[in-house]
Amino acid sequence: MKKELIELQINGRSYELAIEPSKLLLDTLRQDLQLTGSKRGCDDSSCGACTVLEDGIPMLSCTMLAASCEGQEITTIEGVSEHGSLAAIQKAYGDWGGAQCGFCTPGFIMTVKHLLAENPEPTEDEIRNALSGNLCRCTGYSQMYQAIKAAIDAEQKGSAAVSAAR
Amino acid sequence: MSLPQFKLLRPRTVEEAVSLLAKQNASEGLRATRIVAGGTDLIPSMQQKLFEPQHVLDIRRISQLQGIRQTEEGTEIGALTTLTEVEHSDLLQKNYPVLTEAARTVASPILRNMGTIGGNICLDTRCLWYNQSLTWRKSCGFCIKKDGDLCHVAPGGTKCWAAFSADTPAALLCLNAEIEIASSAGFRRTPLREFYTGLGDSYRKLAPNELLMRVILPRSSAGYRGVYRKLRIRGSIDYPLAGVAVALSRSNGNVSEARIALTAVNPAPVLVKGASELLAGKIVDEELAEAIGDLAARTAKPLTTSALTPEYRREMIRVFTKRAVLAVASG
Amino acid sequence: MTKDFSIIGKRIAMVDAAGKTSGAGKYTDDLSLPGMLVGKILHSPYPHARMKRIDTTRAEKLDGVVAVATGKDAPNTYGILPVGHDERALAVDKVRYVGDNVACVAALDEATADRALELIDVEYELLPAYFDPEKAMKAETDLIHDNKPHNIEKDYHHVFGDPEKGFAEADHVAEARFIANEVTHAAMEPHSTLAALEIDSQTGKPGRLTVWSSTQVPYYLQHKLSLVLEMPMSQIRVIKPLVGGGFGGKSEVIPLEIIAAIAARKTRAPVKITYTREEVFWAHRGRPRTIIDLKTGVKNDGRITAVKARVVQDGGAYCSYGVVTILYSGALLGALYDIPNIQYDGYRVLTNKPACGAMRGHGTVNVRFAFESQLDELAAKLEVDPAVIRRRNLLQPPCVTINGLRVQSYGLPECIDRVVERSGWKHRKGKLTRGRGLGIACSHYVSGAANSIIRSDMPHSTVNIKIDRDGGVVVYTGAAEIGQGSDTMTAQIAAEVLGCSLSRVKVVAADTDLTPIDIGSYSSRVTFMAGNATLRAAEEVKKQIALAAAKKMNCAVEELVFRDDGVFNSKSINVGAGVPPVQAPGGDERGRSSPHRSQDQASVSGRVEGQILRGSLQQQRNEEGPKDFMTFEEAVVAAIDFHGALAGTGSYAPPPEARGGKFKGAGVGPSPAYSYSAQVAEVTVDEDTGEVIVHKVWAAHDCGRALNPVSVEGQIIGSVWMGMGQALTEEMVWKDGLLMNPGLLEYRSPSSVESPEVEPIIVESIDPEGPFGAKECSEGSLAATIPAIANAIYDAVGIRLREAPFTPERVLAALRAKKNAKLLDLTEGIDPTAPERFREHGGALWFKGKGPERHASDPARRTEQA
Repeated sequence: MKKELIELQINGRSYELAIEPSKLLLDTLRQDLQLTGSKRGCDDSSCGACTVLEDGIPMLSCTMLAASCEGQEITTIEGVSEHGSLAAIQKAYGDWGGAQCGFCTPGFIMTVKHLLAENPEPTEDEIRNALSGNLCRCTGYSQMYQAIKAAIDAEQKGSAAVSAAR
Repeated sequence: MSLPQFKLLRPRTVEEAVSLLAKQNASEGLRATRIVAGGTDLIPSMQQKLFEPQHVLDIRRISQLQGIRQTEEGTEIGALTTLTEVEHSDLLQKNYPVLTEAARTVASPILRNMGTIGGNICLDTRCLWYNQSLTWRKSCGFCIKKDGDLCHVAPGGTKCWAAFSADTPAALLCLNAEIEIASSAGFRRTPLREFYTGLGDSYRKLAPNELLMRVILPRSSAGYRGVYRKLRIRGSIDYPLAGVAVALSRSNGNVSEARIALTAVNPAPVLVKGASELLAGKIVDEELAEAIGDLAARTAKPLTTSALTPEYRREMIRVFTKRAVLAVASG
Repeated sequence: MTKDFSIIGKRIAMVDAAGKTSGAGKYTDDLSLPGMLVGKILHSPYPHARMKRIDTTRAEKLDGVVAVATGKDAPNTYGILPVGHDERALAVDKVRYVGDNVACVAALDEATADRALELIDVEYELLPAYFDPEKAMKAETDLIHDNKPHNIEKDYHHVFGDPEKGFAEADHVAEARFIANEVTHAAMEPHSTLAALEIDSQTGKPGRLTVWSSTQVPYYLQHKLSLVLEMPMSQIRVIKPLVGGGFGGKSEVIPLEIIAAIAARKTRAPVKITYTREEVFWAHRGRPRTIIDLKTGVKNDGRITAVKARVVQDGGAYCSYGVVTILYSGALLGALYDIPNIQYDGYRVLTNKPACGAMRGHGTVNVRFAFESQLDELAAKLEVDPAVIRRRNLLQPPCVTINGLRVQSYGLPECIDRVVERSGWKHRKGKLTRGRGLGIACSHYVSGAANSIIRSDMPHSTVNIKIDRDGGVVVYTGAAEIGQGSDTMTAQIAAEVLGCSLSRVKVVAADTDLTPIDIGSYSSRVTFMAGNATLRAAEEVKKQIALAAAKKMNCAVEELVFRDDGVFNSKSINVGAGVPPVQAPGGDERGRSSPHRSQDQASVSGRVEGQILRGSLQQQRNEEGPKDFMTFEEAVVAAIDFHGALAGTGSYAPPPEARGGKFKGAGVGPSPAYSYSAQVAEVTVDEDTGEVIVHKVWAAHDCGRALNPVSVEGQIIGSVWMGMGQALTEEMVWKDGLLMNPGLLEYRSPSSVESPEVEPIIVESIDPEGPFGAKECSEGSLAATIPAIANAIYDAVGIRLREAPFTPERVLAALRAKKNAKLLDLTEGIDPTAPERFREHGGALWFKGKGPERHASDPARRTEQA
């Protein structure tokens, strides 16, 4: 099939790409843009390793046509780090054992990022529910809850420090 | 797994969409145009080569199909409204709680962000012998529903028993929902219960040139109490292996109107016949709930289309219905 | 009493964590090379067939196809075990399971390759197939492998002590059949391999082969590639990028790894193959369906007198690790409790399904489920507390078990005590509301196999350390990080020994060109073996530094202490009480080092002291005469000046006394040390639906010493969780050799919603031979979870479940049977012992000649017409 020209907004940048209309967003990210942080873990839209944000909402990039994303703002894991440093949630996942093999981690980070944007102080039940579309095979999820709580604390301390400085 | 090659059409209006459908579908046969919204049903199926359309019609940009609105006759939900939006709608939660509860159980939070109410209504029927890769299906000689001519779950039969496996239609049936469908010939309305055929392969009455626009919840069923119970192995991600929706209204503690619908145990979501009559005017007690459960179990005709045995799934219809009826009545 | 460590025992982020959380870390499928092709494999649609003809012409002609490889391109056999060389990368004469590898297309893109697969014409002659191990064992003809009569891969018959006498002495005997159905690793990363050849400068022809692969065993991969491709090992380089989980599924050579290399050689271009999730299920190597006929005798006081086990494993179509699995199943009956008499009969059987292999808790899990369930049954019969009956059967270490396993450190008693205490066992067990219950079970595992797969005198791990004038410590290890924390463990041990900060240590791992041989990440061997090798290498370098430093500091080598990026004279500084703030040469205050100390600080001070100020500082020091302190940098420079170079090597081989007995099969089971676990699970059972909810698991694990408690806890929780999956939701469902659930949607790995809280409890028995006393922590906990849940279900509702997983329908069927209620056949459809049910269905129709070819709408035919 002939390639077509599309324009995608990814991590705040605009990319013009020639792709086949049948190309998935995940493959476009990984193959055309070398943004390999989003992973493919399944073929039946069940694992969540490819989760990205579309206009801030978690979606499976393996289940979206790239061409259908024209006009939306896509955020991938590569867009989460801030000024070359880990965001609080990324740091906390490392410190608290939220990532072991790390393959599912980018997907989880995207989901958690959205969760905390919607609900800055979630209960453990809310966290469990929010994470239930991402599968992890290493951690049994427990240490992720600690990481998320630590990230919330860090964010709050961070913002407290900022306001104290003012 | 790669997707089949197709051309992508991205209309901005319903009119544009139906005229594209009319134009493309005349001669495409097996390769007829498929409509994609959230993609959670179609995209994995295309990877498995269950569909190899010439054209895919992406309707996500049609703003007419979005949102939940109160109207004269009740509440309208645009086909593109995501299941997350349905789940979190205060309006629906207040008036049609059985629907929000059913929506909340669909797949996983991420899939609900993508999947739409229209997609859930139109969800393809599922079977372990069908939802498999091309290589896999080849090795079992294909099946009636796709590429073959035999059924693996009902040997010798010529009917397809793939199970209708969406959650929200059971709730919608209980609410007497109607749907509106567009085509280049105009618009038509149909009660949802008449939308499904009961056949696993040609499971819905939607012509290739038609597009589901919205679902309409009548004012008459607003305020019904409701409960949805879903059998699944995991607490998330899974399709239902059996589902029961119960909705009823009461006056003076007695049931005035009630409807019970099942999903995932037949090739269509079905209303349990006789349940309304059995419940009307009664006060629900253990015995009545049990009788309703038995009735529901007789309505369910599961076959070996999914992980758990048909016997167990039918049994759970009985248990879940009884529990749901008691829960609604006591709530 | 605990020694004061500066890095060991601290909660630290893994050294590779940032790459994983930022998405920058590269796994194999994230790599690409210029001109790279995509490889796609054609799989057999039949479970057992002879290949009469294969014609690839049509596929080769398709635009975008570069080459099609078949079995003829590399027909040599291989297998992970020297006794099991029964696989070919691509089939030559026969296919043995649905999914067996037939041909490989290398094309410009995936869609083209997929289309080309439909154009390969293969003619098969169908053979009768075997799906049930007990039936396969009776077969006389049409064997899966001609040299394996009755389709038995291997059988072992071991007798230790006098089991008949033991049973005669028993006051109670329990006997039952247990079945554990097949499960698989389902690591999140599908296997992936990228292979490329370089052109040799001398010959101008393709020469060295480099393979990047998702493997737990780079060295074995290099070895098997050499065997199949007939290339010298020195011409093959295997590099392991990040690996997205293994659990044993990447612990042997997987067909795509060799096929990618074959395709690269044939196309003269880099070729990458990444499995689809379905192909991962076909590659499999998971835990076999196991039938266990178990008999246990006990005295009235609960002492075990004898155990007899007959174990049949449904191994699938190839040997894989099968011989080892069936041996572990017997050997690991010992080393947990003191059992005076054991009879073991193990059968590893071939069937026409994907090969089973090693999976977390290799060999021990299913038998442990049976044993711990039966022990619980006996405790109930004797009216002895299930925790107490386990305490009554403890080993008395140091000792050697009746089957020749040497046990030194043994934290089991403390594990039992801790979970009993934490779970409130004594006042809650048997006293919860109906439907809710507690269950206890124990397990153990090896800290590495004492005998390697390939018998030789080769060390199991070797580690090199290089330190240069920059003060950086580079550790070269062949150990394979697969997410378990191997690289972090290595860095921690090196830093601890050398007294330097973690940020100074760089780990170069799992690249056969750069790193010395390590036999890989399996059998929980890395911390014990690669850890010991790292320890020895670091000690060797440290000795060299100490020699030079002692000279400079004018003191004895023994008086030196390495700590906090410095070398101290212990005589002058009271090190034992914790390192006091020392006035460092730069004048900055140095407190006690924290592992979280910022990396910037360490490297800045290193740069300042090490390079810019070095000359003048040294001059100053020389003028001032001997000192009682040197920075790490100064000491390193002094050592390099003194020795000419600074490098150390350490290796580890298990001691002869840990290598087990002399009988046939004695080589599997022995380990230098065993980990121990005790667990209590709390569940509720819905008696109307059979649904089981696990609320909490308390898991105490004796890991010797926790080098990084965050990681140890993560491994314990992860093991328990994976055990819970096998106990409740995970099962490979087969119909006539077809896997009904080859995806993560239908193979149900638990989601966060139904995953319970797991309270990990670390028990440290300080093993005399482990690095800093450490033992394994990644596998041993898994096996106890399944019986702990089974026993909790018994406590809750009084039913014994002897078939795992305990799906709601199995639980409900058992509840109905117990109540004598209307008997419903709730499990028939998924019970793999009854495949006949499906034989009459479509699944077998193709055997009668109605194969896929007859369908006009078969996409393969449509492509042909097109």
